[in-house]
Amino acid sequence: MILPLTREDLKVIGYNMSKIVYLIGVLLFLPIIVAVIYGEFDVIPCFLVGIAIAFIFGSLLHHFLKTEKEMELKHALVMAALIWLVAPLLASVPIWLANATASYLDASFESISGFTGTGLTLATDIDHLSHSINFLRHFLQFLGDGIGIIVVSLSILGTTEMSSVLAFKGEAKDVGIRPSIVRTSRIIIGIAVTFLLIGTILFTAAGVYAGLDPGTAVFDGLNHSMTGYATGGFSVRSQNLLYYHNVWIEVAAIVIMIIGALNFNLHYAVLGGKRREILRNMEVRVLLLFLVVFGMFVSANLLQLNLYSSGEALFRKGVFHVISAQTTTGFQTVPSSILMFVWPVLSILLLSIAMLIGGCANSTSGGIKLLRVGVLFKSLVMDIKRALLPKSAVVKGSFHHIDDVPLTDTVVKGAAVIALSYLILFSFGTMITVAHGYSMEDSMFETSSALSNVGLSSGITSPAMPATLKVTYMFLMWAGKLEIIAIFVLIGFIILALRKGIRK
Amino acid sequence: MGLRKFSLRAFLKKNFDFITGILSEAGLTAVIMGVTLVICVLLALISQ
Repeated sequence: MILPLTREDLKVIGYNMSKIVYLIGVLLFLPIIVAVIYGEFDVIPCFLVGIAIAFIFGSLLHHFLKTEKEMELKHALVMAALIWLVAPLLASVPIWLANATASYLDASFESISGFTGTGLTLATDIDHLSHSINFLRHFLQFLGDGIGIIVVSLSILGTTEMSSVLAFKGEAKDVGIRPSIVRTSRIIIGIAVTFLLIGTILFTAAGVYAGLDPGTAVFDGLNHSMTGYATGGFSVRSQNLLYYHNVWIEVAAIVIMIIGALNFNLHYAVLGGKRREILRNMEVRVLLLFLVVFGMFVSANLLQLNLYSSGEALFRKGVFHVISAQTTTGFQTVPSSILMFVWPVLSILLLSIAMLIGGCANSTSGGIKLLRVGVLFKSLVMDIKRALLPKSAVVKGSFHHIDDVPLTDTVVKGAAVIALSYLILFSFGTMITVAHGYSMEDSMFETSSALSNVGLSSGITSPAMPATLKVTYMFLMWAGKLEIIAIFVLIGFIILALRKGIRK
Repeated sequence: MGLRKFSLRAFLKKNFDFITGILSEAGLTAVIMGVTLVICVLLALISQ
């Protein structure tokens, strides 16, 4: 029996949210440092207003909803769903005040796209944005998707073990790295910062080699490393990575995109000495399989239409976009107009499927996740075996993911529920986009890009697109990031409150 | 002055797992890029 909501439930959610709201306020000081470095003093008040709003809102939550009650799973899921809405709305204030977007709705879209690591952008003139606002856009991706806002808050603020475990689950993260959740959070941050540094060095070196001045190379490199590791895909250039026309920048991007799409548990195991895990892990094998198969078909399809004729061009355009789609990053080396009007439908559909599948579970990437696809495929194989073998035969399955994991009905059901939820939302988003007059393949492409937090665009996403479509994509990005279940629990909470009211 | 003498050998020994782990992940990305690049070159050669 579902118990009715009480005021104490709301207090638990609001009080725990207040700590993260404070943290957002504190983190908004970082772009101010960038503004000071680049002498952009006119933008600083925009950040200060955002910080003030965050602190006032946090104080109100903290003061009026203070409680000692421990968080339960339902609270954690609702809090995660809400904080992933509230945090972007707060961070969108400086973006809006600095006129980086045409309206507050566009700024919110930009901020949600940032926090969820999507990368679809409504910024009006990226090439002429201030350094500090550009840094904020990229930092949001690193903070929200690269590490996870709840992970950051746990490692800095600390809280009870039980609340932390539940909050982690709400953010669709695995808690299995270390026994202590705060230690797990710090390991995740350590891994993220390590790869951020490596990525920055790679991008900067490639940028200098491409002819950028060292200052620009470092700034662009840091930002692209943040969004590459976060599999976010924002860029400091309106043409994204196409701007550079440089193979080494694209290679640096591929390296950091693939690393960002790998499971945190896998990083932890490999960096801790279990090097063979990288070859044995089922998710890595499935990733390799999909990249090779999709890369081959997209390249063959592009070659068939004589769009690109050399092996290098096929790799830099075809394979690059397959990796960008599969890892759910969204870096582009082809303009959206070429994707929309010139690329063949088959390639667009293959990229859409790659985006829907996404990267590894418990990584920075979105989508259904390779682990779940692998589990469902193994389950299918087991069912086929059961059908072919005698009734008395016992068919047992397992897969290797850090340890040997038995393929139980519970594991398969969990994977199937998430996959089905994604497909339902995908159909919903595609239908709404088609209803706005776009073609089916472009609608499928843009919807899967928003839902799986990718950021590749066929050109539909622009400041001129209808407000209803903007709101639809904002919902898809939010739902996709939280792997949907937290959203359903939030909706259940609201329905419960409406039907039975809130008791004392 | 309180600064200890830096020993590359000791540093590598202490961080062996971490460094080889990074190299393993770099190796994975190199394998993915290598395999897909070979496929692209072969496709381009076949089509000519």
